[in-house]
Amino acid sequence: MARWGMVIDLDRCTACQACVVACQVENNVPPAGSVDAARGRAISWLRLVPLDGREAHGTRPALRLVPLPCQHCDLPPCTPVCPVYATQKDEEGFVAQIYPRCIGCRYCTTACPYTVRDFNWRRPEWPAPMEQSLSPDVSVRPRGVVEKCTFCHHRLQLARDQARAEGRPLREQDYVPACVQTCPANAMAFGDLDDPRSTVARLSRSPRAFRLLEELGTGPKVVYLSKGEWGA
Amino acid sequence: MLGRRRFLGWTVGAAAGAAVGGGASAGLRALFASAESPIVPPRGPERVVLSVCDLCSGGCGVRVRMVGDRAVRVEGNPLHPVSGGRLCPRGQAALQALYHPDRAEGPLRRRGPRGDLSSFVRATWDEALGEIGARLAEIRAAGRPEAVVLMTGGGGAGLGPRVARRFLSAYGSSNHVALHRGDEAAAIALLLAQGVRTAPALDLQSADYVLSLGSALLEAWSAPVHATRAYGEFRRGRTGRRGKLVHVEPRLSITAVSADEWIAVRPGTEGVFALGVAAAIVGEGLHSKPFVAERIAGLEDERDADGRMRPGLRSVLAQRYRLEQVEAETGVPGDVILRVAREFASAGASLAIGPRKGPILPGRLFDHLAAGVLNALVGAVDAPGGLLVADEPPLPAWPPLPGGVSAAGRARPRLDGAGAERPLLASDPERLAEAIRARAPYRAEALLLLDADPVFASAAPEAFAAAIEDVPLVVSFAAIPDDTALLADWILPGSHYLERADLHTTPAGVPYPLVSLARPALPRPVRDARPAAEVFLELARRVAPELAAALPWKDLDALLHWEMEGLHAARRGAVMGTAFDEAFVRMMEGAGWWAPGYRTAAELWTRAHESGGWWDPFYDHGDWRRVLRTASGRIELRGDLLAPPPAAPDRDGTLALLLFEPLPIAGGTGAELPFLQAILDPGHEAHWETWAEIHPDTAARLGVADRDWVRLESPRSSLVARARVTARVVPDAVAVPVGLGKRGGGRWASNIGANPLRLLAPTRDPLCGLPDFGATRVRVMRARRPNGSA
Amino acid sequence: MPDHERHDDERLFAPVMRVGRGFWMLAACAGVLGFLGLVAWLVQLRRGLSVTGLNVPVYWGLYITHFVFFIGISHAGTLISAILRLSNAEWRRPITRAAEVITVLVLFFGMGCILLDLGRPDRALFVLRHANLRSPLLWDVIAVTTYLTASTIYLYLPLIPDIALLRDRLPQRRWLYRPLSLGWAGTPRQQRILHRAISVMAVLVIPIAVSVHTVVSWVFAMTVQPMWHSTIFGPYFVVGAIFSGIAAIILATAIVRRAYRLEAYLKPVHFDNLGILLLVMACLWFYFTFAELLTTYYGAEPSHMAVFLSKTEGRFAPSFWTMIVACFVVPVALLARRRTRATVWATVVAALSVEIGMWLERFLIVVPSLSVPRLPMEAAPYAPSWVEWSLFAAFVGVFVLLYAVFTKLFPIVSIWEVREGRDRSIADVARRVESYLPDGGAGP
Repeated sequence: MARWGMVIDLDRCTACQACVVACQVENNVPPAGSVDAARGRAISWLRLVPLDGREAHGTRPALRLVPLPCQHCDLPPCTPVCPVYATQKDEEGFVAQIYPRCIGCRYCTTACPYTVRDFNWRRPEWPAPMEQSLSPDVSVRPRGVVEKCTFCHHRLQLARDQARAEGRPLREQDYVPACVQTCPANAMAFGDLDDPRSTVARLSRSPRAFRLLEELGTGPKVVYLSKGEWGA
Repeated sequence: MLGRRRFLGWTVGAAAGAAVGGGASAGLRALFASAESPIVPPRGPERVVLSVCDLCSGGCGVRVRMVGDRAVRVEGNPLHPVSGGRLCPRGQAALQALYHPDRAEGPLRRRGPRGDLSSFVRATWDEALGEIGARLAEIRAAGRPEAVVLMTGGGGAGLGPRVARRFLSAYGSSNHVALHRGDEAAAIALLLAQGVRTAPALDLQSADYVLSLGSALLEAWSAPVHATRAYGEFRRGRTGRRGKLVHVEPRLSITAVSADEWIAVRPGTEGVFALGVAAAIVGEGLHSKPFVAERIAGLEDERDADGRMRPGLRSVLAQRYRLEQVEAETGVPGDVILRVAREFASAGASLAIGPRKGPILPGRLFDHLAAGVLNALVGAVDAPGGLLVADEPPLPAWPPLPGGVSAAGRARPRLDGAGAERPLLASDPERLAEAIRARAPYRAEALLLLDADPVFASAAPEAFAAAIEDVPLVVSFAAIPDDTALLADWILPGSHYLERADLHTTPAGVPYPLVSLARPALPRPVRDARPAAEVFLELARRVAPELAAALPWKDLDALLHWEMEGLHAARRGAVMGTAFDEAFVRMMEGAGWWAPGYRTAAELWTRAHESGGWWDPFYDHGDWRRVLRTASGRIELRGDLLAPPPAAPDRDGTLALLLFEPLPIAGGTGAELPFLQAILDPGHEAHWETWAEIHPDTAARLGVADRDWVRLESPRSSLVARARVTARVVPDAVAVPVGLGKRGGGRWASNIGANPLRLLAPTRDPLCGLPDFGATRVRVMRARRPNGSA
Repeated sequence: MPDHERHDDERLFAPVMRVGRGFWMLAACAGVLGFLGLVAWLVQLRRGLSVTGLNVPVYWGLYITHFVFFIGISHAGTLISAILRLSNAEWRRPITRAAEVITVLVLFFGMGCILLDLGRPDRALFVLRHANLRSPLLWDVIAVTTYLTASTIYLYLPLIPDIALLRDRLPQRRWLYRPLSLGWAGTPRQQRILHRAISVMAVLVIPIAVSVHTVVSWVFAMTVQPMWHSTIFGPYFVVGAIFSGIAAIILATAIVRRAYRLEAYLKPVHFDNLGILLLVMACLWFYFTFAELLTTYYGAEPSHMAVFLSKTEGRFAPSFWTMIVACFVVPVALLARRRTRATVWATVVAALSVEIGMWLERFLIVVPSLSVPRLPMEAAPYAPSWVEWSLFAAFVGVFVLLYAVFTKLFPIVSIWEVREGRDRSIADVARRVESYLPDGGAGP
């Protein structure tokens, strides 16, 4: 079985946030107004977080702006704590969120050390006629359940169906999440980490590769390539 | 034994309990059911439509997924050379604009006082075009066609602005004013250096060392997706070569964050820094001597035609831009200047970029000239990795303009004096506002606004608001009523790009000629809107027969056929295709062959629509006759122009006002879309409000803490913004984003934030007359929370 | 003389016999608060948790704080009463029932808080249908349910003789007391069985009670979040629970004493002893807190220090230092000296201070770790809304009302145990003390 992972090259990333908006559009995330945003309730499955660094030629603080999706950990701290099995890791490594099962206790949200999980504090609403642009492939969540990045799992299902209909195996380029597809700098790659020939497997072996909060042993499947000069 | 009374009591009690309980449980169930959204998913056959995004001037080709009559997803078109299958956040938010709840229902006529949306009532297109057409015909019949002014703004090089401009000329007026001047300063610099009037294109992906002088290369660039794609390749797309980016600006912008080095200079001294680098290069003899010898004029002093001594670049640099002078003025240590100079000169392909910050903020001409000097010194002109000049796509000429009244009108001087009073400018919106109020040299009788919101996005917002009151007929084509539309007499809502067919020419900054085609995705517009191009075609028919003859097309499709047939006749280029196709075409054209992949015009039409359009990917480097049209036939280094504008007198305690345009709200549009309001400043928790970046030392001096409200005061106006205390900006400056603070724009833009363009001093660049967006100084103090803010 | 013919302890029967004006006023106030809470809850059901102050990353706030707080207080009754019974502390007699009632009632409110916190309360029963036994929340469900069952039994068993007394005294309420008294007649055999059963329950209840708050603490400790993932949490929470529980007993008995004029039964010496217990727990609590803070500070791990500093000098500093004062300084100051400790008012003030302090402590456990996440991100400060406060007020109000209703139905001081004490204790204690003394009598 495949083990799906992502590589984000911070040397290419320009922090334009196309990935952030693409994810929201693809996954029927409701738009938040200024009030909800000010209260910290806007839903965004993918965010840019600032990780401070020091630049080489000076003493002023430099920033790295790092896209942070759900890391789909191999040893996720969020799945054991769900009292109703509403979030589980499946055989292909996706940490899935099952909306009809979720009771909204938010234990998984507090257990996640990356803080990448979101919650529907209110019923998602789209002022008419904005609901017309909703994608039919992704369910609209109700009020009171947790949601998070799914690596656009619905696209995998569609790609598999397509491949089956055409009588061929699934190719690497058939399934990419919305963020990877839209990144103008081509900073994101996606694929099977267990396939030694895949782009992500190759890139994850780069000397520039690192993962976030590795020391916690969560085994995140999002690999970052550090910004800067060194490494090929 | 239960008595009868007791029994009755018990049963009544039980029944009542059951009723209450049942009611309560039904109520609870209703409450729980209200958790689900009553969304009806789209049904119907799926299809894909190719179109072109016009949320900025970038011209990205897009693929639209339709389910039934609904557009459910917009992605980049993988075959399109600009987008390459990718999109920026604005492009991704296109569907929010299409289905925006605050789009005007249809044509709106003003019946009450200006400035209020409730003053408008619905009208039919027939009524609207009938009245407006009649009025325009009247003005023209009275012999004053020049009194009609057309203002266009951002939003791409589609047919709307082209037809509008042609209409204006055919009608008999030369008063076409472009509001967005983001490319102007760079274009004027190119004009002065190479004699070509266009915005320069950059071959970023082949460069090795980029010196960005405060440019917004990775933000609100003229073609953002194109530039960011090139940047990705520039960094990690070529094995063994990694491009280096050095960014010079008094603020740590998004581009600076991506750079390898951020050099913080004093406000307004980017050009001085660049010339300091140039002085070091020339001083140490690191410039490309063969290139300079062959292609450059003006390095040494020379006598001009009148016998006067014109200072050459070398003497200007030696006199005014010596290391210690530049060090003192910019605040950058001399060894940094020297190091950058050596790196810039010795890298494989170096490129200097001037401070274009967005569609509204062009940067100063001086800084762009300085960038041009650096490029010229290292031979980065028309070379791979350097400054390129795009060729125009070979589209056919349109029918000739009528003479008579129209010719007379076109010959009258422009109201804004562009090209005359200020010979280097193509447009001068602020001067237009003055001329309208002064009614000189003649009165403006009609103002047509296409994608333009001067009451918000010009350098003189209040002057415009006053001027508009004086124009008898103001028509706005805004789809969502913006600030200017609220003051207009008529709102004729333009269609969304997904609702119409269109043809886009090359976006500014892209080095090869492109014709991108768009088909309408929706069978009919969501609101009663019409493409602006078709409105102008209709108006032409209503105004006069000679206009109809000059614009003889029935609708957009007819015009598209005209264009494509002409394109076919040009016998150049190919339809858009894969990377393989592109390489093949380049190879063939490089050898002198034309291998287009189509034979007849009909085939071109079909294939171009299937792939996204037509282009010519071959760039003929070193075709000097095309890219150099100066009198000398060489690149002119205008040493005589290289004196920076005087800095505004430093009043005690004031700070330099640094303006910038975050990509989501660049050009004064985008604030209407909630997904874009949410991402204004990545990683810094600033969204849905205007903020002012202040250095910690300055903040301590002013007694301002992070997230306090502060007032910024200039001689012209004041505004309140949220202070963000950060070392991202130098101590002598305060940085404020442009794009929020509208009155119109719908529920997500209206009365959110503040517009710093109101603070601008009316200073003009002494070289060319562009408004100097960087010359204002403001006083900053703590303030009370503005009304209606969280 | 048969029990039902004795006429001492009339005071203890009085509340059950008569409903005074005070009770109705209390009911009215509680009714208003309860109504407010109901409105708040309905608003929350309609509009979702957006009516609270919760956000990303502070996903848990007052509801979880109150959950821990109420479950903590529940350690009062059963644990104290069981320990005191097992250690044969004679002064427990008038106190045990008041304590046990707190436990049984407050557990419902603790569980209610969790229900309030759920995004989908209509799916609450999923925890039974689709139970994931690896989840500490599931352990909570099991432990609290077990504890509730055990405490109810432990409240009921010693209640039986008193119910029998009431059955005989109040024939108009026979329909209630007769079935509940299980035919108690006070025979020696019945007495033996009862004492046996009570002893067994007393022993059983203690590990169950310890497990409950340990498991509540593991909801936090089993995550990897800074200042949650701590091995000390289990014992720390148990200590904190007993601490707040004793304070609750003090408050409850003081109020009951005043309201029903039971000064003869709840004497200063009782408050003195409770005060000693509170003092001991204050010191123990301080020890655990200090150990926790010192190890965190010494290790200086960045993500831990970010939370630590937010508590000691940052946004949460006022609450933190108030907590230290309220939980340690005030109680020790008031209770360390015998002269003050032996007064009722001093113990009550100390107990009130402790409750406030322990409320802050629960808040400071839940909110700061969430407010300062490991990866820097948007963090709007958490400000509880009227809904959250209203529900808290409603819970407290209804709890007090239910407690008062209990005192109207059953004696709040265990009559038979007081009588047993009066009759037998002195002899029992004398015998016990004698068995401690060295053998051999009075000497040469």
